[in-house]
Amino acid sequence: MNPFDTIGAAIAAVAAGVSLALLLGETLRRRREAGRDDILRRRYLRIAMCALHADDGAVPRFPMLHRAGARLLLAETLAGIVTMTYGLDGTVLRRIVEAYGLDEWLLCRVRRSQGYRRARYLSLLAALPADESIAGRVVRYGNSRCRSVRFQALLAGLAADPTSALRRMEEYAEPFSEAEVAQILALLRRGVLPVAYEPLVMSPCGNLRRVGLSIVRQFGIEEAEPRLLRIVADEPASALSAEALYTLCSLRRPLIRREVRDRVERMGAAERRALIRYMARENYSPRFLHRIFDEGECLYYETIVRSYKRTLA
Amino acid sequence: MQRILIASDDEFARELIRLTLVGLGAEVRCSCCGEAMERLCARVLFDLVIVLRTAPFFCGRETIGRLRPEGLRRPTIYVISWQQAERTVLSLLECGVDQYLTFPLSLQRLRAKVADNLTGKRL
Repeated sequence: MNPFDTIGAAIAAVAAGVSLALLLGETLRRRREAGRDDILRRRYLRIAMCALHADDGAVPRFPMLHRAGARLLLAETLAGIVTMTYGLDGTVLRRIVEAYGLDEWLLCRVRRSQGYRRARYLSLLAALPADESIAGRVVRYGNSRCRSVRFQALLAGLAADPTSALRRMEEYAEPFSEAEVAQILALLRRGVLPVAYEPLVMSPCGNLRRVGLSIVRQFGIEEAEPRLLRIVADEPASALSAEALYTLCSLRRPLIRREVRDRVERMGAAERRALIRYMARENYSPRFLHRIFDEGECLYYETIVRSYKRTLA
Repeated sequence: MQRILIASDDEFARELIRLTLVGLGAEVRCSCCGEAMERLCARVLFDLVIVLRTAPFFCGRETIGRLRPEGLRRPTIYVISWQQAERTVLSLLECGVDQYLTFPLSLQRLRAKVADNLTGKRL
């Protein structure tokens, strides 16, 4: 056997062994770190909850904050508490954020990162009880190329300065997606934003109307019916009027109305069938359906109602 | 001593609820959702089970029957989740859940509700 071959094989074996050892070492290190993070997160949560229960004006001490990633863990812990709850004493959490400079630290991370990482830091900032000045400092990220960064910057602004919420949402350039509206409503449910649907539904701005309609749907505000009918009548071809129509359905209001009939007439066949499926899900009676839909569509409705598909529609 | 079980796969949420219920004079235990929760309920008779997910009740298994022995009124079952759809809430109540609460949650209200429940049981 060629001695060079033997040496080559030995080198390859050693290299493979070293690679395996390094890989194993890295895996173990990551696992150990994840375990340590879990323990630290639990400790931070316990300390923060004790501070919330005690509320004695003192700032609790969070251990090992000098460790890499510990400050992020603390920010995530506080953000987790805020996101899952409402009615907590904001001053205690605000005191912790100020004492450990978490808002400044997050702003620094936002500046230094890009893309989704930046959006993640902004979303943490939106969840922490920050002061009003933060709203002005995140405005520049509203021009980012990344959509999620733009939206999270808006959310951070809304959370920091709720008094300017209407203006900020109005100035947001693109239409909100369903997921984005859901995130705004989560802020609202936490009590950060007021539940005032009227100025939103009556606004000429599409985004504000979309948020207003979602509020009406989520809180089941039946008093909004005349306004919804007006949207359906005034803008018969727009997506917003279709949304208003679906909102009427989810409130289970009577649909035998001139405005609704006109809107349904302008819909395409696929849109009409989608509406029929939605109506079936909301348990509308098939009795008066022929006043809005044609015979074939009424039969389609009855087929859905009679089948197991009603729950899936 | 009365016993409370908190079942969730999300450790953070489980811990948050556990810390909220500390000091009520009840033994609080935690487990993951699903089979671990059912196994624990088969061994120990809890006074209150708080489940932080709706999925165990919609997976086709007779979850309520496994959590609450036949003929008994306890444990009381609370479900806390992010879902707000009326249909989901009604389905849960129909299948035997006693209380449904949504996130975001008022921790003070949850604590008061649980305390009331435990006091009622003690009386």
